[in-house]
Amino acid sequence: MTAATRSMAGRLPLLIALRIRMEVLEWSGSWWFLLTLVVQAILGPLIGMFVWSAVYPDDPYVATYYVALLLVTVMTESFEQFTFSEKVYDGTISHDLLRPQPVVVNVIGTNLAIRLWLMIMGIPLALLTGLAFGVSLTWTAVLAAVPVFVLAATLSFCWIFLLSLTAFWTERVHAIVGFGWALNTLLGGTIAPLAFLPGPLREVGQVLPFYGMLGLPADVAAGRVHGLAPLLTGLGYQAAWITVFVVAAVLLWRAGVRRYTVVGA
Amino acid sequence: MKLLRLFAAGFSRSAQATLTFRINLLFDIVQSVIGLLASLATVFVVYARTDSLAGWTEAEAYVLIGTFQLLSSLKSTFIDPNLSWFPENGIRQGKLDAYLLQPAPTLFLASLARSTPLALIRFVLGTVVIVLGVSGQGRLPTPGAILAWIVTLAAALAVTWAMGVLLACLAFWAPRLQLDVFYGSAWELGRYPTDIYRRPLRFVLTYVFPLALIATVPTTTLLGGPRLVLLVPCVIGAAIACCLAVGCWRLGLRRYTGATS
Repeated sequence: MTAATRSMAGRLPLLIALRIRMEVLEWSGSWWFLLTLVVQAILGPLIGMFVWSAVYPDDPYVATYYVALLLVTVMTESFEQFTFSEKVYDGTISHDLLRPQPVVVNVIGTNLAIRLWLMIMGIPLALLTGLAFGVSLTWTAVLAAVPVFVLAATLSFCWIFLLSLTAFWTERVHAIVGFGWALNTLLGGTIAPLAFLPGPLREVGQVLPFYGMLGLPADVAAGRVHGLAPLLTGLGYQAAWITVFVVAAVLLWRAGVRRYTVVGA
Repeated sequence: MKLLRLFAAGFSRSAQATLTFRINLLFDIVQSVIGLLASLATVFVVYARTDSLAGWTEAEAYVLIGTFQLLSSLKSTFIDPNLSWFPENGIRQGKLDAYLLQPAPTLFLASLARSTPLALIRFVLGTVVIVLGVSGQGRLPTPGAILAWIVTLAAALAVTWAMGVLLACLAFWAPRLQLDVFYGSAWELGRYPTDIYRRPLRFVLTYVFPLALIATVPTTTLLGGPRLVLLVPCVIGAAIACCLAVGCWRLGLRRYTGATS
């Protein structure tokens, strides 16, 4: 590692923090738009809760799981198809390429700033839903869910960013991210907790990365995962998928930037 | 007749523009199929665990999903593009001025002139799902039931348009208010039988924001046969909603002063 790289690595958290601050301030004027994002995010878990509450009216796990999932969904939403891909389409990514910092710094900063806003608006809604359905989460389960949640948020970001990188090759990134989102809802635990899926689907869901983004942190927060061993297994599974996505993203980014051309370049 | 010709011309122009981009067309078809498969997968997963969801069998649920797809596709094709355009462009940027000068009703131009023909793919997919659901149920609906189903669908479409216009009209009084995303989100609640929702919400979805009419009422009509107690309120409700929308639009227009004046 050269001295310049070391110095850049040391400055990264500061650069990200500055970007977060800037974006938080910038988004503060768009509270109406942010509210629409929150409403869209909570809708899937809410519908899931109604459907499964109708199937199992006496099972408290359903409501607890879905309130936890609602929180996880709101706090891990990623929108890189808008914040990153649109810059590829309109050519403004060139500005970021010219700066003496990795392009991903701004992408991460924007992502965290939007999540912060969604959290501020989404947590009261989740609490209200929890109250309406008589849900009580235990502190130990919530604390145990914190590391799983952090990795879930990272995994979710890596997945959407990876899909958004396809903007270098196609104009249909929204359709591609839409497909990824459909997989998330189907196998991540939104349309049904993974435990409720039929045998083969459940086995597929346990291997793929989507459960690690949504269902796993919700299951831990709902108190469904007992003991240290399954928790560590879950964290390992999330870390493995993050590694796969990061490597894939780096490769795609390099190939994409080589391909990228813009008027004037 | 003139309006119908105008509507057909606008639709044909949009269709030509859409079909020019073949890769986009392919992506949109794939996305529609995936969206529908995700809905069907939900039904499949639910009925792998139970025989009845709030009194609905699996075959009935497929008919419901298909009916929801039909109306969603018509909403996405003819209503959404106008509803999302209106507050930002029509009011805030004052493009409604141009419509006011044209020799056609302004409400028609603002609420039905734009369309996204590709969304009709879901109409075809929805029809296939309904046919599969009906054949899975074992007995064919009577001609009367099919006729009543078409009437309820027409009423649902009219209510959908009227609700869209009413929400867009709010922009005359509060230009920053853009409710199309909330409308789209609330619309998703119609994907499942309204019987699954708890009482206060079910009441709201039946009478205040009549999403029960979107899929639940037409599906019960198709499967259970026509019932006057359901049909008459549907038609009257749709007529009242349309009158409200037209009245609100006129009130709003009176208030409108243009973006530059």
